[in-house]
Amino acid sequence: MRIGTITRASALAVAVLLTASGCGISMGTGGGQGGGGEVSGAADGSITFQTWNLKTEYADFFEELIDEFEKENPGSQVRWVDQPAEGYADKLSADAAAESVPDVVNVAPDLVHPLARAGAVLELEEARPGAAEAYLPDAWESFAMPGMDGVYAYPWYLNTGPVFYNRELFEQAGLDPDDPPSTFDELFDQALRMAEETGGETAMLGQTPGIIDLGMYGSQLMNGEGTEFTFNDAPAVEMVQRYREMYEAGALVPEALTQDYTGTGEQFMSGALAWAPGSAYDLENFRTNAPGLYENVGITEVLTNTGKANMYLQGVAVSAATEEPATATAFAEFVTGAAQQEAFAREVQIFPSTAGSLEDPYFTEDDGTDEGRVRVAAAAQLESAASYNPVLFNDQMKNLLRDEIALAVKGDKSPRQALDDAVDRCNELLGEG
Amino acid sequence: MAGTLAPRRRTAARPARGPAARRRAPRMQAAPTPWLFLLPALAACLLFSLYPFANTVLLAFTDARTLEPGSFTGTDNFTRMAEDHRFWLALRNGALYVLGVVPPLVLLPLLLALLVRDRGPGIGLFRTLFYTPVIASAVVVGLIWTWVLDSRGLVNGTLQALGAITRPIPFLTDEWLLLASAMVVTVWKGLGYYMVIYLATLNRVPQELHEAAQVDGAGAVRRFLVVTLPAMRTTMILISVLSAVSAFRVFTEIFILSNDTAGPGGRDITLVMLIREVSSGLDGQVGYGAALSLVLFGLTLGLLLAVLRLQTGRRGSR
Repeated sequence: MRIGTITRASALAVAVLLTASGCGISMGTGGGQGGGGEVSGAADGSITFQTWNLKTEYADFFEELIDEFEKENPGSQVRWVDQPAEGYADKLSADAAAESVPDVVNVAPDLVHPLARAGAVLELEEARPGAAEAYLPDAWESFAMPGMDGVYAYPWYLNTGPVFYNRELFEQAGLDPDDPPSTFDELFDQALRMAEETGGETAMLGQTPGIIDLGMYGSQLMNGEGTEFTFNDAPAVEMVQRYREMYEAGALVPEALTQDYTGTGEQFMSGALAWAPGSAYDLENFRTNAPGLYENVGITEVLTNTGKANMYLQGVAVSAATEEPATATAFAEFVTGAAQQEAFAREVQIFPSTAGSLEDPYFTEDDGTDEGRVRVAAAAQLESAASYNPVLFNDQMKNLLRDEIALAVKGDKSPRQALDDAVDRCNELLGEG
Repeated sequence: MAGTLAPRRRTAARPARGPAARRRAPRMQAAPTPWLFLLPALAACLLFSLYPFANTVLLAFTDARTLEPGSFTGTDNFTRMAEDHRFWLALRNGALYVLGVVPPLVLLPLLLALLVRDRGPGIGLFRTLFYTPVIASAVVVGLIWTWVLDSRGLVNGTLQALGAITRPIPFLTDEWLLLASAMVVTVWKGLGYYMVIYLATLNRVPQELHEAAQVDGAGAVRRFLVVTLPAMRTTMILISVLSAVSAFRVFTEIFILSNDTAGPGGRDITLVMLIREVSSGLDGQVGYGAALSLVLFGLTLGLLLAVLRLQTGRRGSR
């Protein structure tokens, strides 16, 4: 009886396995659909437009934008969907695996690379020759993928610094709040002094350095060909060594080893930290959620040893499988066009990536408000900014680097060893890709 | 062939004319009914459990990525696993978690159940309070404990205010303390659930046995050891199996307490966290993740069988 049951169970398992193998492993597109020639024609189809966590705050703006596009292009219909911030990459991967990437989709450069490699998004230099002219050259080039020809998304909005600091905490530590650090060396020295003066009660920094920090400190993150990571050079080792000294002295909060940008921002808002990188958007957040801090917040420029601040960039890609390529590309160009980007920049503290937009007085003339000051300073910074985050540096690599740096800062490994290990492992992952 | 089959059918049909056949007949007619009842659940099981499982087995032998089907790579993923220090770290942490969590989850709920077994004023309130952590979201529980344990949290703040410590205790930033903190959260959250299971069993222990032991001069402790504990043995084994399996697959507690980093340097990573990390995202290594999942499945199954074998062995030796 028992043998019979086992036999039947085994037969069922084999049947299931055979069925599964018969069905095949349906994993994604696996083929390039990107090369489809120039896209032209009337924009009169129905498409889906997916954004990344924008509906809650900016529903009115996007509904008006869609209405305007539909009026300008009779017959066109745009269905807008918005995805939450958390798990956006997972949602996109599920869409791409099911070959159902929305016709027009909001992406960041590092999300575009796997989509482009799988042929899931349209190559734009072939599909829309001449489209590049409408955008800032650096922003357009940010969506050129290493090892592949062409550009795979339209640049959308940009963001950059500044850095916020808590003037009250600076004063308490005997530091001059009117003369905040302007170089990394000054920052690290003042962080050590703050820790010493306050007996480790107040920490200057809330996070260990990431790939962007290493880049701004002067590390050459990849080789010239973009085929290998090289962030184990002397500047990177020096930076991690300085963080190790600061951690030992209490100039970093204990959570710095495991904390991300969000956690640092929260600690800065709670008054536990004296220095936090942010964006123009954060100022409004301070005013609403931390009015006490807002009164004491100082604003200064992002520190960089290369002369170039980091630029965060969002883009809009067009699905290679769209049935309405003319409507999809027309809508993507409408959303990322100068008029709409400039209008969006007035809704929220972001900056347009379209050529000439940053020359608008709104971005060059200080209107006397804090927001105006931050906006003008950040816009000026953008003129020479660069995107330090290599598009090939994926989440798994980010985690590896964070872990290795944490071990070095904690003293479990030498900075040199930790960075060597991180580079070796990231290059292995790069090779496997 | 047909000529020989016909008499056989007749021969086989002959005994079916007896009373047994009459009893079977309605069953034969009703045979599709249970299958029809089963169909929705069976279909869901095939679609959402067996098919994904079979697909996982196949993927484990490929280098598939999220957006690329990959090709057959034999046992490469398993060889890579053997050389992956994070896999061994995850295995170590899983084993430590089982060792740290199972004994308190077997013993403490039993003591709680004994405390709230008897009806009395306010006992319902205590039962509810003990059960509350079970129904609370694991993420919410994790966040609450993060506020309790972080460097400026309730515990460190109180100890510093009392002058007991000068620098915060690194509950969430030390490899071992983070693991221990996560174990505390798991135990705290699981107490009520297992307490309810014990309560159900306790109510079935015959009162006569306690009375007989009392007549024989056994005190409360002795009665607990010779009457209650033996009656609870099967339930204790069940709870040890359930808690061991879930402890080995721990994710949420460490994930939340470590802010999605698996602790400083990733030293508190568990197998489920590792699977998530390598498999998720647009360029996730689905093949390697599937291989890790298979190993986790095998280890969990092994753990389950080992405990059940232990139970069978003890029964046999009685």
